[in-house]
Amino acid sequence: MTTHTNFAHQDRPIAHRLRELWAYRHLVGNLVIRDLKVRYKNSVLGVLWSLASPLLMMLVFYVIFGVMQRPSVDRAFHLFVLTGLLPWNWFSMSVAGGVGCVVGNASLINKVYFPREVLPVGVVVGELVNFLFALPVLIVMLYLWDIPLTMHALWLPVIVAIQAVFTLGVVFLLACANVYYRDTAKIMEVVLLAWFFGTPIFYDYGAFNRVIPILGWPIETGRLAYILNPMGTLVANYRTVLYGSPDGPPSAPDALFLLRTALTAFAILAVGYWAFARRSGRFGEEV
Amino acid sequence: MSGSIRFEGVTKSFVIAHDRPRSFQEAFVRVFRRTAAADRDVLVALDDVSFDIAPGTAVGLVGPNGTGKSTALKLVARIVEPSAGRVEVSGRVAALLELGAGFHPDLTGRENVYLNGSLLGLGRRDMSRRFDAIVAFSELERFIDVPVKHYSSGMYMRLGFATAIHLDAEILLIDEILAVGDQAFQHKCRERITSLKKSGVTILLVSHDTEAVRELCDRAIWLEDGVIQADGPCDDVLQGYYRSMVAREEARLAAETAAESAAVASTSFDADVADPATARAGARHAVPSATALPPTSPAQRPPSPDRFGSGEIEITDVHILGPDGTPHPIVLTGQPMTIRLHYIAHRRIEHPVFGIAVHRDDGTHVSGPNTRDAGLSIPFVDGPGTIDVHIDRLTLLEGNYELSAACYDDALSHAYDHHHRRFPMRVRAGDIRERFGLLALDADWTHRAGEGVDKR
Repeated sequence: MTTHTNFAHQDRPIAHRLRELWAYRHLVGNLVIRDLKVRYKNSVLGVLWSLASPLLMMLVFYVIFGVMQRPSVDRAFHLFVLTGLLPWNWFSMSVAGGVGCVVGNASLINKVYFPREVLPVGVVVGELVNFLFALPVLIVMLYLWDIPLTMHALWLPVIVAIQAVFTLGVVFLLACANVYYRDTAKIMEVVLLAWFFGTPIFYDYGAFNRVIPILGWPIETGRLAYILNPMGTLVANYRTVLYGSPDGPPSAPDALFLLRTALTAFAILAVGYWAFARRSGRFGEEV
Repeated sequence: MSGSIRFEGVTKSFVIAHDRPRSFQEAFVRVFRRTAAADRDVLVALDDVSFDIAPGTAVGLVGPNGTGKSTALKLVARIVEPSAGRVEVSGRVAALLELGAGFHPDLTGRENVYLNGSLLGLGRRDMSRRFDAIVAFSELERFIDVPVKHYSSGMYMRLGFATAIHLDAEILLIDEILAVGDQAFQHKCRERITSLKKSGVTILLVSHDTEAVRELCDRAIWLEDGVIQADGPCDDVLQGYYRSMVAREEARLAAETAAESAAVASTSFDADVADPATARAGARHAVPSATALPPTSPAQRPPSPDRFGSGEIEITDVHILGPDGTPHPIVLTGQPMTIRLHYIAHRRIEHPVFGIAVHRDDGTHVSGPNTRDAGLSIPFVDGPGTIDVHIDRLTLLEGNYELSAACYDDALSHAYDHHHRRFPMRVRAGDIRERFGLLALDADWTHRAGEGVDKR
């Protein structure tokens, strides 16, 4: 039996909210399936686009930065790019899709009650599915270019989990902000572009690492970039466990550094979820 | 037992949206304008409303537009949250607010049914059990694997309705009895809702159709301007609501008539010279009212389909009087009323016959009594006078009617003046409960069971 109380400024305990979200897990699944089906409806390649589009993007980067310019990385540059590109795509597609997920589902929100958290979660999970479709292709290509899987690939679920947490936090925040300020979606288009170039996808932070003094402290720019950009750390970690360094085989990630990123990710999720949950009761009349 | 709804001092107000900054630019400008708090428009949809609905009751929410009925439904459905107070709901809620909300045009009927089920918290297995029943009810077997964008709107709503009522909800929210599909399907929907009610489902129905409420509900709540005006057994509440609706319509008509007669007064001056037709057209809308029809002498008056006659006697005005003897734009079924014809005879005429006719606005000729048939003999008329047609108990059922008024010679062959369907008469339901057809027969019904009916 379902009993609920509807009152102002609901501060339902978080355990209650999570239980409810769990009860609606089928909705998340169905929304993910809906989005995938709709996305590939009427296209010849269908779900193969999950694989084809990152490969084509990889080709573009390879031609621009590997052929037209001298690549910053000599060893299998296209795979260097691809290991970064796949997780980035997951993130950027989630953000691009998630920022409008509440506003875009206004017709649902106005008519039916369901935990609003389902929508951002659905977007992130949907893009995760896309990412997981493409991952085997990366692994096969790595194998073909003599970079076989190592034990270190077992870190992959951990890194994926951290990225999921981080992405979800960002999407919660932006989806909520977009309900009140529709500019958020427009701004994010530009921010994502800048973020893409600020993330080491076709280059490595190590390539321009310098020590500069800030307020008397010697700061490594590479390290600073990682601290400022969790996506940078995540991409670098994918690369470490799958591809290795520009001139070495795959290795274990810096566990402490990964832990710090995980903490950042959870902090972002906590803030994002808090903001979203606090506002979500009013979405029905705001969108 | 689940299926109860409880409103405890619920207030819901909306900030009118045009005032909210929707972009950073507006938000930024507002920082400097400093008028923010002042020009906020707040709409109070529900104001400290409390009521309890026991499991298994069917309750109708009635009231004029914009008085918070739909807001109340949305509060039960948890689509909006109250500004103050609390709404307690126990049981699964199915909302027939908009059928097929959440259907995606690119997905097939089957996929949408599952998606819709999960919107209400039902998993794949739960839905699989219900799926066949849903499809059977919607009668869409042939189209269930076709994307719903190819559905007609009727098919779309049928599928939405079928899905919504197969979710085993304990509470059913209905916003207006739905016009789903063709007649046969509508019957099926009503039957289904009735059988759900019998099986103990709590129903909350919002409707402007008081008959629909009377048919389905045990209890009615009349909301007006966000507060409860009346709450109780259907008949009592609906009667009060109906009375206030009629009063409201009368007030509106009176205001319109006043405005129009003002307009006629200002135009008829020019019209006298320029175009008598416009003056008459204006007057037609203005009656019945205190203003007389434009006094036109027979010579000036060109023949027209809705007014003709030789003009020795003119019917100058027609008034519809209510039970209290004063003009009313609306009369009620079952109540006394009087139709008063004002005439002026320009010369002495012997044995005139006055008559009226009632047409429904679709052209059906309902009645046409006259003084001769009624046995009233008028020896002669000269100068002004009135004829009253008094009806003790009006048997016309709710509808809009048009009155004709005429004066003929005693052979009914020569028209002195004939106004054809020129006077609107609005009838609204009163004390008589009948509602099908044109007239209330107001008969006495008896039932005798068993044999010997013929023998008495």
